[in-house]
Amino acid sequence: MKQLFPIKHVMGYVFSLILSVVALAVVFWDLSFVMGMTILLACAAIQMSVQLFMFMHIGENGTKGALYTNIAYALFVGLVTVFGTLFTMIWGYR
Amino acid sequence: MKIDHSLPLEYQTEENSNRVLGFWLFLGAEIVLFSTLFAVYFTLWNRTGSGPDGREIFELAPVLAETFLLLTSSFTCGLAVHSMRLGLKKPFMVFFLITLVLGLAFLGVEIFEFVTYVGEGATMQTSAFLSSLFVLLGTHGAHVALGLLWGGGLAIQIAREGFNHGTANKAFIFSLYWHFLDVVWIFIFSFVYLKGLM
Repeated sequence: MKQLFPIKHVMGYVFSLILSVVALAVVFWDLSFVMGMTILLACAAIQMSVQLFMFMHIGENGTKGALYTNIAYALFVGLVTVFGTLFTMIWGYR
Repeated sequence: MKIDHSLPLEYQTEENSNRVLGFWLFLGAEIVLFSTLFAVYFTLWNRTGSGPDGREIFELAPVLAETFLLLTSSFTCGLAVHSMRLGLKKPFMVFFLITLVLGLAFLGVEIFEFVTYVGEGATMQTSAFLSSLFVLLGTHGAHVALGLLWGGGLAIQIAREGFNHGTANKAFIFSLYWHFLDVVWIFIFSFVYLKGLM
């Protein structure tokens, strides 16, 4: 029975539940917008890493160099899409 | 066929290893797809017109239930792959079916949530905010629904054939997809719901 619940997976699960609860704090505590967004961004980034490294085993394959490059590139394009859109549509420049 | 026995079953042939790599490339494209939908939502989230805004329609309880269901199903999916690597078919089937049931429960709560929104007069046509919200949530929900069909088919195949190079590879690739959907949900949970209620 014990071998079915490897400690790494259990820790990853407990950790992601804790992070969700921490993120929930922004709703109940009276935080500034910047503080709230910082907490949300940090929690989401850590949760993503938990899934990527503990559950998706990104580092174990022989092609891990290609996997990291691919994910880094996709994240780069994604972030440019989101922040580029915010920059042109909302924030503007002067 | 060259078989490398030092690796887990799902990577042992070159074809399998390439399939896993190919699926990661697909997930890269999915990251960009969801980024565009998030970008649209972040642009339009306060364009509520005469409709309700996020604070009025979002409810914490169902959202927390969805988060808990999806996090747990991602965990049991990881356990299923772990059992597969130990070569244990029965625990695999148990964990895998729990994963699918939790996914179905998630989808049920999400549909209930959509029905509630529409009942409150917040439909997809009401405002730009609601259009972008429904498209973002709906695309994620459609992915979960597709995953349930895929996982259901896979469960039947593995029940029939057991683990071989083909089925182990498919199960591993399914687990990548399922964990990815959990990551997308974390971002929806944080930057749509929690930010909306902040």
